Amino acid sequence: MPDGNRLRRRVDRLIGRLYSHIPALGRRWGRRFDALSFAEIPFTRLRKPLRECRVALITTGGVHLRAQPAYDMADSRGDPSFRAIPAGTPASDLTITHDYYDHTDAERDLNILFPLELFRELRAAGKIGALATCYSFMGHIEPPHVEALLRVSAPRVAAMLKQEQVDAVLLTPA
Amino acid sequence: MGLIARAIEAAGIATVSMIGLREIAERVRPPRAVHLRWPFGHPLGEPFRRAQQLSVIHYALHALYAIEEPGSIVEPGWAWRRQTYAEPVDWSMP
Repeated sequence: MPDGNRLRRRVDRLIGRLYSHIPALGRRWGRRFDALSFAEIPFTRLRKPLRECRVALITTGGVHLRAQPAYDMADSRGDPSFRAIPAGTPASDLTITHDYYDHTDAERDLNILFPLELFRELRAAGKIGALATCYSFMGHIEPPHVEALLRVSAPRVAAMLKQEQVDAVLLTPA
Repeated sequence: MGLIARAIEAAGIATVSMIGLREIAERVRPPRAVHLRWPFGHPLGEPFRRAQQLSVIHYALHALYAIEEPGSIVEPGWAWRRQTYAEPVDWSMP
């Protein structure tokens, strides 16, 4: 990696830690963030009881299998790709690549961000019907990559969830 | 993240999104959101605080059924740390 890139990543990680520890900074960023704005809201009622639901987890916290490629941190506009995480993946096989927040705690206990273990327990206890394949993205996606997220990645994940007959999804941010 | 939730919901699957920044959710408008003003990187709480983590998960799953108005943002109002949590017992929903 060139020196300039390495320096930029160090600065990004430092800023990410500041944002994680000073909530007011994060909220200030949130007010200024140029988010897309929508009037219409898609809505699907959940009609099955929870004990019969096939549930999937999705995080934008940059989680991936150690064996999968990391998210692209060299591009400051983000990485709109996703990673499929099998429901049975042990936490020790997972890692986080994301420079824009402090994930020290999530690496100690992934349940605070991507609660695969807790949902496997809920499944074993019969509280949910099944745990389906889960997915991870890296949040912090800016133009022009928002377009790829909207047109390619998000619909592709939605189609795979549908194919696996998922009933409900819990999404967690970084 | 709201964009992903919207795409999934449009495909006919119910979603609930944990959010830390209400201002963004009010614009992107995920179908159902649970807002907690907690530090980034901790949407479900602190490491190894099982009762806290399960309480948030229980609240979010309950919101899947309880929210009837598209785009609603619900708030448990739980303080970061200064809050006592009990592990939820009854998971039968709705």
